[in-house]
Amino acid sequence: MEKKGAKRSRIIELLEEHGGMRPGVAREVARETGVPEADIFGVASFYTLLARPGAHTRVCQGLTCMMAGAGRRMEELRESGVEVEPVSCLGQCDRAPAALDDKLELVAGPRGAISPVSDDQAMKLGAEDDASYSALARAVEQGPERVIAELKAGGLQGRGGAGFPAHFKWDAVRNQAETTRYVVVNADEAEPGNFKDRELMLRRPHLMIEGMAIAAFATGAKTAFIYVRGEFKGCRRSLERALEAAKPHLDRLIGGLEVRIVEGHGAYICGEETALLEAIEGRRGMPRLKPPYPTESGLWGKPTLINNVETLACVPAIVDRGGEWFRALGRTEPGSKLYCISGHVNKPGVYELPLGVTLDELVEEAGGYLGTPRAFSPGGASSGFLPMSQRELPLDFGALAKAGSMMGSAGLVVLNDTINMAEAARWQQIFFEDESCGQCAPCRIGARVQRQAVDRWIDGKSRVGLAHVNEVAWEMNEGSICGLGMVASLPLQSAMKYFEEDFT
Amino acid sequence: MNTKIETAETKLELEIDGEQVEVRPGATVLEAARELGVEIPVLCHDDRVDPAGCCRMCLVEIEGQRRLQPACTFKASPGMEVKTKTERVARHRRGLLSLYKADHRLDERGRPVSRGVHDKLADHIDTYGTGPELPPVNAPRASRSDENPYIQFDPDACVVCGLCVRYCDEVEAVSAITLFGRGASTTIGTADQRSLLDTSCELCGGCIAVCPTGAMTEKPSLDQPSEQIVRTTCNFCGVGCQLDLHVATVAAPKGPSQTVSQDLGAERSEVVGPQARVSETMKRVVRVTSPEPGTTVNDGNLCVKGRFSYEFIHHEERLTEPLIRGEDGELHPASWADAIARVAEGLHGVKQRYGADALGFVSSSRCTGEENYLMQKLSRAAFGTNNCHQCAAT
Repeated sequence: MEKKGAKRSRIIELLEEHGGMRPGVAREVARETGVPEADIFGVASFYTLLARPGAHTRVCQGLTCMMAGAGRRMEELRESGVEVEPVSCLGQCDRAPAALDDKLELVAGPRGAISPVSDDQAMKLGAEDDASYSALARAVEQGPERVIAELKAGGLQGRGGAGFPAHFKWDAVRNQAETTRYVVVNADEAEPGNFKDRELMLRRPHLMIEGMAIAAFATGAKTAFIYVRGEFKGCRRSLERALEAAKPHLDRLIGGLEVRIVEGHGAYICGEETALLEAIEGRRGMPRLKPPYPTESGLWGKPTLINNVETLACVPAIVDRGGEWFRALGRTEPGSKLYCISGHVNKPGVYELPLGVTLDELVEEAGGYLGTPRAFSPGGASSGFLPMSQRELPLDFGALAKAGSMMGSAGLVVLNDTINMAEAARWQQIFFEDESCGQCAPCRIGARVQRQAVDRWIDGKSRVGLAHVNEVAWEMNEGSICGLGMVASLPLQSAMKYFEEDFT
Repeated sequence: MNTKIETAETKLELEIDGEQVEVRPGATVLEAARELGVEIPVLCHDDRVDPAGCCRMCLVEIEGQRRLQPACTFKASPGMEVKTKTERVARHRRGLLSLYKADHRLDERGRPVSRGVHDKLADHIDTYGTGPELPPVNAPRASRSDENPYIQFDPDACVVCGLCVRYCDEVEAVSAITLFGRGASTTIGTADQRSLLDTSCELCGGCIAVCPTGAMTEKPSLDQPSEQIVRTTCNFCGVGCQLDLHVATVAAPKGPSQTVSQDLGAERSEVVGPQARVSETMKRVVRVTSPEPGTTVNDGNLCVKGRFSYEFIHHEERLTEPLIRGEDGELHPASWADAIARVAEGLHGVKQRYGADALGFVSSSRCTGEENYLMQKLSRAAFGTNNCHQCAAT
């Protein structure tokens, strides 16, 4: 049991300062914080950047990087005497194959493309970042109700993956009786195929910060947290610079806002909103049971608004130009959307297009297909694979869900006919097995069962495991605590469903 | 106007499997189900710690909830409709138990192994069955050698429900163990994976008592099946903790030191007859547990002495009758009357020769408050000295 007044939320940064999970470090951090030593050690063992500390090269083994020859690269590095650790997606799919050097700085190909600026974009990645905070001024003039009404009129859906209407959350936090409230920006972008939040933070940090400030104003929060994945060192630097420039505006317009940047330490699950809260509080990033939802009981039990980077980056334009304007940007669903595309296309990158474009339209922006496309993953690892026969589907939340897939955060990966879909499914199942938090059995054991099923097929041509994939997936979906376990079988299930020939 | 005042007495009514039940506000679905006698299986639950809802065994259907919800954490509300016997719940239990089984050490008959006090995984499989027959997953869990004399942990018999960790933290406030690692390799560890002897652990063995699958075990009790349970009061201190002594028939050690007095008192007549000597077996305490939580003063908890210090019961040097040292310098068995007379005579002799303050009376923390009171009364009233002390007083 921790001592009264224990500084639990400091333990992760202190663990990092002391060099991660090494003998004696937990004891030292326990002394400094008043949190029991075993507890601290357990926290350290959860986060890969703390559990496997040390100066070595971390090579991405995400789907896109593996297709781009990450396996070969790892062999070459090992042969040249470099210590290599294969790691989960580094969020650099447009620059594959990617790696981090011994100081966690990025080693990757040239930066991916972005779409040219046009007036029908809410975020305009290519434009000069606007540090005038005029949208915040306008929001303050309008008042919280009007801002939330515009969000509602704009039909903004959460861009983190679930597509939940943003105004519901804002309203829910605003209407809590408890007056201590928090805004948390989920910048833990780590789903294989996704790198849009990275580009937003690098190119338009003020857009996100302004959205965050408007959210804090509308919900009555006085403190905001930005949870940035630890592998995004560049994003952190960009945010810090922007926050400094933003401070006078925040002081002037909303009487100041305390903003804290919290770094992730290598755990995909911390992108799950309640696991993220646990991480900020200094615990193992294991998702909480819901209900209660964070809007009611979030950070330290207080009402908390958690929004994705892109969701918040849409807000300034909505306040500036109105909800109706934003809604009209979309084709099948409201707004414009950042689509990430990587894999077998000519110009991988981030493209802001009307919500609901088709794959072919997106790929046209991205310079066309490389080779003959065979499959695509529409929204990150969690969305599984779809065959090219579904290329006409509008890439939106509703249509993809109906097709048994999901939009997720729109991290599309195109796979051409050089790829064996059983292999592709295995890379994704490895990701889920590595990133399961281990709290609940359906996901902890199920993710391993599914990975072993595809292993047995590829390595030993045994169909024994494949026979149970769907039943195990059913239980993972029903029994898991959070969304990771619920969808973790989808890559293998969908590959088996649409690409039977690779499993016979 | 009739204003209804909400008090702690206000009850709310809900429905479980079509039956109505009244519970206090704040009660969970699991508590409501118990009121009705509806069985909901659990692994990670214990009334003494906050419910975690992580073993997923207790998931039930709740009207209006899209997902199955854990009965142990979900709060009952008025008019709620809960279903525990649907095909969806049954299929979930089978699927989950299949996964647990694939991640567990199995015996030669293919049943989950338990070497501890509970065997809930095997019990649940017997009751609810399993779904797909999955090959073992061989999870890459770290194991830890630990030279402590009492507590053994088998990671492959663990369902990682974390109940031991929560018990150690929330009930004992010791926090010696933690969930360690992530994903399939998650297991129970200690700080820097040290021996429990080098941690804050007090070796109370509570982790063993709560472990639903016997992954935590008493080292001295390994492979010692018990035949009988004898309830007694712990005599290590005055709290009055109740103990359940697990008794087993074991081969009697050979040699002249094997005497009547070393056998378990409660089994005296049965064990120590001539036939016991002939068969060369005897009954011994092989494990100590606490009665169920909520039933006795210790509420399911024990300390290191109560749980593990029972070797003295059968120890060959244990004193079981008064002994008086004779002229020959040897100790000889004597009656209580003779022994007390000898003590009184000696003490009076000292008092007469050197005065009462030449005497001192020290009693034991193993005595009750009443016994300690009597000891100081003996000191002050009978012998007239204030030189009285109790070993736990400083």
